[in-house]
Amino acid sequence: MKWSGYKNLEELNEHDEADLDLLKRRITFAGLVIIFFAAIIFARLWFLQIHKGEEYRDRADNNRVRMRAIAAPRGNILDARGREMVTNRPSFNVVLVREDSNDVDKLLKKLASALDLEISSLWEKLREASSKPRHIPVRLLEDVDWETLAYVENHNQEFPGIRIETIPARVYHYKDLAAHAIGYLGEISKKELAARNSDIYTGGDLIGKMGLERLREADLRGEKGSSSSEVNARGFEQQLLKNIEPLPGNDIQLTIDAELQKVAEDLMDEGGKAGAVVAMEVKTGRMLVLASNPVLPLNQFVGGISHKNWNALLDNPKHPLINKVVQAMYPPGSTYKMITAMAGLSAGVIDADTVFYCPGHFKFGNRRYHCWKRTGHGAVNLKRAISESCDVYFYQVGLRVGVDRLAAMANKFGLGHKSGIELENEKAGLTPTKAWKQKRYSKKWQDGETLSVAIGQGFNLVTPLQICQMTATIANGGRQYLPQIIEKVTDPDGKTLERFKPVVMTELSKNERSFLEQIREGMEEVVEGRHGTARKVRIKGINIAGKTGTAQVVRLKQYKHLKEEDIPYKYRDHAWFTCYAPAEDPEIAVTVLVEHGLHGGSVAGPVARALLESYFAERLQKAAEEENAQEKAETTGQER
Amino acid sequence: MFRIDRRFFQYFDWVLLVLLLCVSGMALMNLYSASYPPSPWGIPPFLKQCYLFLFGLMGILFILCFDYKILHFWNYPFYIFIIFLLVLVLVMGNSAGGAQRWINLGLFKLQPSEPAKLMLVVTLASYYSRKEQSDGYGVKEMVTPVLLTLLPFLLILKQPDLGTALMLGIIFVSMTVFAKVRWQTYGLGIILGSAAGVFAWFYLLRDYQKRRIETLLNPAKDPMGQGYQILQSKIAVGSGGVSGKGYLEGTQGHLHFLPERHTDFAFSVWGEEWGFAGSLFFLGTYFLMLFWGLYVAMTARDRFGVFLSFGVVMLIFWQAVINLLMILGFLPVVGIPLPLVSYGGSSLLTTLLGLGILMNVRMRRFQTGQNIEKMK
Repeated sequence: MKWSGYKNLEELNEHDEADLDLLKRRITFAGLVIIFFAAIIFARLWFLQIHKGEEYRDRADNNRVRMRAIAAPRGNILDARGREMVTNRPSFNVVLVREDSNDVDKLLKKLASALDLEISSLWEKLREASSKPRHIPVRLLEDVDWETLAYVENHNQEFPGIRIETIPARVYHYKDLAAHAIGYLGEISKKELAARNSDIYTGGDLIGKMGLERLREADLRGEKGSSSSEVNARGFEQQLLKNIEPLPGNDIQLTIDAELQKVAEDLMDEGGKAGAVVAMEVKTGRMLVLASNPVLPLNQFVGGISHKNWNALLDNPKHPLINKVVQAMYPPGSTYKMITAMAGLSAGVIDADTVFYCPGHFKFGNRRYHCWKRTGHGAVNLKRAISESCDVYFYQVGLRVGVDRLAAMANKFGLGHKSGIELENEKAGLTPTKAWKQKRYSKKWQDGETLSVAIGQGFNLVTPLQICQMTATIANGGRQYLPQIIEKVTDPDGKTLERFKPVVMTELSKNERSFLEQIREGMEEVVEGRHGTARKVRIKGINIAGKTGTAQVVRLKQYKHLKEEDIPYKYRDHAWFTCYAPAEDPEIAVTVLVEHGLHGGSVAGPVARALLESYFAERLQKAAEEENAQEKAETTGQER
Repeated sequence: MFRIDRRFFQYFDWVLLVLLLCVSGMALMNLYSASYPPSPWGIPPFLKQCYLFLFGLMGILFILCFDYKILHFWNYPFYIFIIFLLVLVLVMGNSAGGAQRWINLGLFKLQPSEPAKLMLVVTLASYYSRKEQSDGYGVKEMVTPVLLTLLPFLLILKQPDLGTALMLGIIFVSMTVFAKVRWQTYGLGIILGSAAGVFAWFYLLRDYQKRRIETLLNPAKDPMGQGYQILQSKIAVGSGGVSGKGYLEGTQGHLHFLPERHTDFAFSVWGEEWGFAGSLFFLGTYFLMLFWGLYVAMTARDRFGVFLSFGVVMLIFWQAVINLLMILGFLPVVGIPLPLVSYGGSSLLTTLLGLGILMNVRMRRFQTGQNIEKMK
């Protein structure tokens, strides 16, 4: 075959051998160009992979690894007998990772319509988080129910960027029991975040806002874990690289006995009473009951309380947000008479046999100071004065002792200063003195005011805890213990970190202690005596010593003639009852305050009685059984 | 018409074949990793590329049976056919990413701009080898090759595929410089070329094409766009370090941080998984293959053979250099594949055909006219 049209080609090629050589020489130049570019490429590779290799390796890791904190389960809270009061359960939040969503606007609209929500609330959450990085999840809904959870999980393809986050939430096994002491959790605020260690807290964390949850935050919070996952360029997690399990918080065992606490709260709840019940072991300072009614609805705080609920709590006239055990102050009323008596005895102005005559009133200056019993008690000694709560007797004693010595004695029993219990915002109360009035009102003390103070009225203010502590000090022979509410703190491995130890704050002098027996006799008469003001409190088998009290709220003439039930609630007197038992060898002191409850003996007393019945239940039952057996033995013996 | 005799084996370019198999072996291995994990639907790119590679090898065997000189004859029919395809792709091509580049052949989507590159090499080689000018080409003689280049150039630019169009220009410049032109021709070319460039910047280039060039100058300005691709590619290659993360262990590629990781950015995956040592070895082999190509040109028996093999080497070399400089962050993302390495059937077949031409030239280096007569 001929190469038609190109006949001369071969000749041409052969003819131009020299030219071909020139051409081929230029190939060498092309080779140099290749070498030049190859050198650039190799140099660049060296720069990227060796010189900057470390840096790019870090950047590749940052690209692919996403760290997420895992919330630690908070420590459990147990009662004195080890019963679980507060533990954790998994709760589910609906969160949005903005980075993973290409159209947040559309997504939220879809979610709002699917779950029947107000879209404005979702936008609000998003606005709050607008300053955070886009890969940080934003909580849209907290602690959702199973239906919502199932819906979101099943339709996750339709909601790119929406995820379910599982975090531990508080479970209250006894509902709102001891709510004020336990407290509640809430999302950490910006202020709290700024004040705390940023290694431990980040936005969105739950933190104790009240009660022990707040005070013992460091014990309860535990240590967060973390999970590092590999993500792809779209932010979807591919695989788990590293998982550090969170360390649960320390368990706290309270000195509070859940059963006793429940008895107290239930009884207070009957008829919607507001007030406080405090019970203390007299020889240790262990707090067995710390009830404040109305209780705090703890479950409303799980997953954030709504504005509506919060305002309802704020507006409630019975002030559920205040822990009335330590944060509310009341005139002590007649419960103060023990102090007056002690002051009189130790000052030597009276002794057990001193008798004052009570005609039903006491004339001082140009005023008449009434006894609660208008017909009068007649001649009264100390024991009767306490058991029948004769005001005139204590007017006389108070007048002789003077207000400053009353205050000094009150201070020795814990009144007028904070007890130091591990609860927030404890009030100190008030034990007035002459100097105090001068300073506070720039006015001279009037002796007539001493009369009011002597029977627990006037400027006197105490907390229910202080009255309980006072009672315990009388009962245990003059030792003032630090009221404590924590029995034990254990770490997750079961190691005890902290254990209850009684702490004696102050002790009465020997002389003062010698008078306590007379006070106790009087207090026993209050319950056990024939004319005692709290005879209703008696329990068969246990001797109780106590004192009733009525704290005047106002002294308005216009209400004086009204029947009790016609007086407006907020002007009614507070009712006190404080006691200890058994009278011979006291174990427990119980103080009950019913706000606007009118009568100590009939309203506050039964609460204390029920509490004591519960506390002594085993012993009472045993005693009753023994008695039955004895009776049986007697009857069978007779038959024989 | 032809007969396979023992000289076929005697003169066969075993060196180039071995280099080709080495490079292709590594490239296919890399492609497996780049498209890992295999997608559940369709034929995985790796397997597709394997089939095409075997098909291409058979194509090489087939063209080795003919003397490369018949290309002198077939040159213009080929040229017209390719131009026809380029027009066809504009009329009824499949579009992707706003550009019409493919003709769907059922089994295989043909991208005619790829064979157009090889076709230009053959056309120019044919022209320059026929019209010899020992003191360099003047302006008059340059009209024909310029027009021959401009036609496919504009058709490809219209798709639009700026990268491939520029590639044609680069091939034209390389071969023309190699063929030697007079100084005044250079001057006129530079003036006309820059005028065309300025004109193009203001009237022809689309916004996205301009942006590509701009992001090269300041990649951090646009982290999720073009700059993002370059940045992720640099992170991938850089994080490979000295010895790499290990085969199939690269995170940038497998976690989809690398864009187009089995096509234009395939070498990033290699760099990440095999590190500096692996990259050196791979590119060493690759450049050795190109040097061998130049050696083939040196030893070619005639002017056409020299131009042909030089053109093929330049075709592969410039694509490789542009692709690598892009991956390493020196050039904008222009959509030029790394021949033999990037996934893409049209590019692979074109490159294999080009190498087949090299082998053909090499095989027939001792043949003169008489030899050809004998071969027949």
